[in-house]
Amino acid sequence: MNAGSIIEAALREGRSKLLEHEAMRLMELYGIKVADYGFAETGRKAREVADKIGYPVVVKVVSPDISHKTDVGGVVLGLKSGEEVERACEAITKNVKERQPGARLTGFLVQKMMPPGVEVIIGATRDQVFGPVIMFGLGGIFVEVLKDVTFRVAPVSYQEAIEMLGEIKASRILEGYRSQPPVDKEAIAGMIVSLSKLMEDNPYIISVDLNPIIAYSRGAVVVDARVIVSRAGVVNR
Amino acid sequence: MLEFFFNPSSVAVVGATPKEGKVGRVILENFKNKFKGEIYPVNPHYQEILGLKAYASVQEIPGRVDLVVIATPARTVPGVLEDAGVKGVKGAIIISGGFRETGTQEGAMLEDEVKRVAAKHGIRVIGPNCIGVLDNWSGVDTFFLPEDKMKRPPKGYVSVISQSGAFASALLDWMAHHGYGLSKAISFGNKIDVDEVELLNYLVEDPTTNVIFLYLEGVREGRGRDFIDTARKVSRVKPVVVYKAGKTKRGGIAAASHTAALAGDYTLYTTVFKQSRLLEAVSFDEIMDLVKVLSTQPLMKGRRVYIVTDAGGVGVMLTDAIELNGLEVPETPADLKERLRSVLPPHCIVENPIDLTGDTDDQRFMTVLNELLPRNDVDAVVVVALPQVPGLRGELFEYLVTAKRYGKPMLVVLIGGGLTLEYKKFLEENGIPVFESPERLARALSALYTYSRIRMQGGVS
Repeated sequence: MNAGSIIEAALREGRSKLLEHEAMRLMELYGIKVADYGFAETGRKAREVADKIGYPVVVKVVSPDISHKTDVGGVVLGLKSGEEVERACEAITKNVKERQPGARLTGFLVQKMMPPGVEVIIGATRDQVFGPVIMFGLGGIFVEVLKDVTFRVAPVSYQEAIEMLGEIKASRILEGYRSQPPVDKEAIAGMIVSLSKLMEDNPYIISVDLNPIIAYSRGAVVVDARVIVSRAGVVNR
Repeated sequence: MLEFFFNPSSVAVVGATPKEGKVGRVILENFKNKFKGEIYPVNPHYQEILGLKAYASVQEIPGRVDLVVIATPARTVPGVLEDAGVKGVKGAIIISGGFRETGTQEGAMLEDEVKRVAAKHGIRVIGPNCIGVLDNWSGVDTFFLPEDKMKRPPKGYVSVISQSGAFASALLDWMAHHGYGLSKAISFGNKIDVDEVELLNYLVEDPTTNVIFLYLEGVREGRGRDFIDTARKVSRVKPVVVYKAGKTKRGGIAAASHTAALAGDYTLYTTVFKQSRLLEAVSFDEIMDLVKVLSTQPLMKGRRVYIVTDAGGVGVMLTDAIELNGLEVPETPADLKERLRSVLPPHCIVENPIDLTGDTDDQRFMTVLNELLPRNDVDAVVVVALPQVPGLRGELFEYLVTAKRYGKPMLVVLIGGGLTLEYKKFLEENGIPVFESPERLARALSALYTYSRIRMQGGVS
């Protein structure tokens, strides 16, 4: 599937939010590295996917009706065996039935559990005046409490992306602290440029949150991607 | 391409009237007093207005008409424009209000009608609901505020684009009072046609515009990219100081993501200004501070600022403010120290800020400045000459005017009352900016440095 057909399918089905595996696929199509993942309709299939990816894994519910997966008990972390994966899928199904009855269950996203690193967030939104705008910030409290983020109007060049990394107040965290080595800035800047391109190419994408992205001394990996689409979003260019 | 708004050879004023206090009279008077081209008052109720032959409609005017200025009730505007279209007029400044800004359906429909007629005849429109254009060089002046209420600034090289007519007039009156020169001012009200993007494009080519000030409420939907591209282009050539007021209307899309929620209106504008290398003024004070430094001072080659003062305290305040704004107040180099020690009394401080102390006279300042200004490691000089000290008699200020030949930014701090204002007036009339506030001076100087870097890098980062 190419980017256009993923977005078209969602719009045709009246969904404004891409399903997790669709969002992940979209990022991959633009060369944005995501944690290894697979989609499975059933617990048994989830186990097969997990076996292929390698443990530990995370299992997340995939549903067009659920916007906050953790709130409904739709996420189970740190699964170390196929058995645990199957059990996790059962538990998620039960949780969702209890806490959000009527929510459709499309299946499960099985994802490689990523080792800890520096959490960053890259986002995009489509402004009615200026078109696509790309955001960068550190994850967690830096974005939620301190709103320590920086923006650029697309197209964002690689040079500008590197500038963005240096602009946030907490930018020194990226340089490494205590025992942490510096993070791979080129990898993050590359993601910013790719997301800028994705927004320019696909006018029906209203916003994207890549949150968190885990950055390491070599490479960076998207763990969660949220993509909102709408036909109403088109502005000139 | 907008030349006919600023430099028409003939103008028709529709709604001209001899009645005192009316918009149509003030505008006609403005043209009569300052404009060199043909002026045609249009009003079917008069044969003659203020000594000029009046016409019943634009079509009846015998000669060619480049520009019409319309100050008639809103409902008559489409008809006037139709007339002007048939006559082959190129531009219309529509002063009249009563369109979309009223929030009524009738107003909106009238505005659409105006747009339609203008498009049909290819007439370019400034307005409606605006005060239009004041061009100090050509004498076009549609600002309907009488001279006794709003003074016009002297001829100069700063141009003002303002979405708000009222703010523009107040600013111009203020500029006139402070002696700041103006080239052009444009207020475009509802901007159904000509907008800030086109005006920036026009002013970048205008030989009498050196600095542009833009008061912006919001860029039209979908026009953002053009705004950025144009602003970037202009910044490479001349400085643009921008002040953002108000909020734009956003599309009805809910902020469904974190990013959308954080990307507030003002945040985006600040981003855009940064990306297009515009210099943002964040307060009213800053608008004219930035404009006055950018319009009078040469570019800074580096960030090294030297302070020469007769007041130690103000020297320290300035040092803090300048360094906090990203510039440098370097230590005096050894060779300069030596030179200064040899020419100054022993109680003077040769470390930067160079403190000549309260017993200084004009000559002592001039001696030090003669050492500083020619040096390659001095990028700008700030002179603190508090006139309360007995030795200062004004000779220093005359010297500063001649010292402009060194081609380096020179700013002056004067704090005080009557005498201060006299000196300030003299200096500013001669293109040397004077500040009372060290912090405001530092902000403006830092904007000059930012702009100097933009120019050195050809407008790209």
